[in-house]
Amino acid sequence: MILVVGGAGAGKRDYVKTLGWDDASIADGKLDDRPVLVNLQRIVFDNPEDTQALLEPLARKAVVACDEVGGGIIPLDRRDRDARDACGRLCCRLAQRAERVVRVVCGIPVTIKETNNAVE
Amino acid sequence: MRILITGGAGSGKSAFAESLAMGQAGPRCYIAAMKPYGQEGERRITRHRSLRAGKGFATIERYTNMDSLILPRGGTALLECLCNLTANEMFGDDGVERDSQSVFAKVTRGQDALAERLGALIQVTNEVGGDTGGYPDGTARYIQLLGRINRALAERADIVYEMVCGIPVRLKGAGA
Repeated sequence: MILVVGGAGAGKRDYVKTLGWDDASIADGKLDDRPVLVNLQRIVFDNPEDTQALLEPLARKAVVACDEVGGGIIPLDRRDRDARDACGRLCCRLAQRAERVVRVVCGIPVTIKETNNAVE
Repeated sequence: MRILITGGAGSGKSAFAESLAMGQAGPRCYIAAMKPYGQEGERRITRHRSLRAGKGFATIERYTNMDSLILPRGGTALLECLCNLTANEMFGDDGVERDSQSVFAKVTRGQDALAERLGALIQVTNEVGGDTGGYPDGTARYIQLLGRINRALAERADIVYEMVCGIPVRLKGAGA
């Protein structure tokens, strides 16, 4: 699995397409059978208490993309705080499982983890 | 040796900071700057305590005035975190905002004083500037101030890391 992270609008989806995936393969904020999932943070924010169950299905994807939501001032709303932490911790665990982790900054993919068996 | 670790919420800063501290000379202290507010605060503190359990850290709860904190010479301290320390110095117990320039001087002086005695000072901070903004003036000044403090401490640091999804991305210096 390749994990792609970055701020909103940073170019994650375009990067995923450079790997050869088309729109039909990309699920947006929804866990289904498609090999690529983008906007993982939406799933986490819908149900921050239950990220544990997401780990295995996500680890079987080809590509998972998630917004980096941990920056900025601590949210006033308790649920937003919990979801922000849960999203960060889930990404830490996904990064451990990933063959490659790419952070997209201003459209530029920066590889921050690469193992020998990374497959595009 | 001064090491600064930044990153967003839930990015794995604490666990990495502890692993770095374990590689440095003892005695090892953990300086907890976060005031235990309510149940949620207690829960966070409990989580951090369990992460540190059995690693031989002496925990010191210290919310302000780092310049007068005397630690064992040549040892290691892990300070968590500069965002709490800065907020505590800026807003105090009374909630009255202190002047940013004096808080900047106090925080940086305090870190210099700690670093001078210690063999290794590992500081955890936070990326508070990365959202949509639109905060009240006091909060906006806090964001600016912590940004300035982060820059000043990064300049003094031998090594700076940003944590991304649990991965330490080295921004300055050679790895420890």
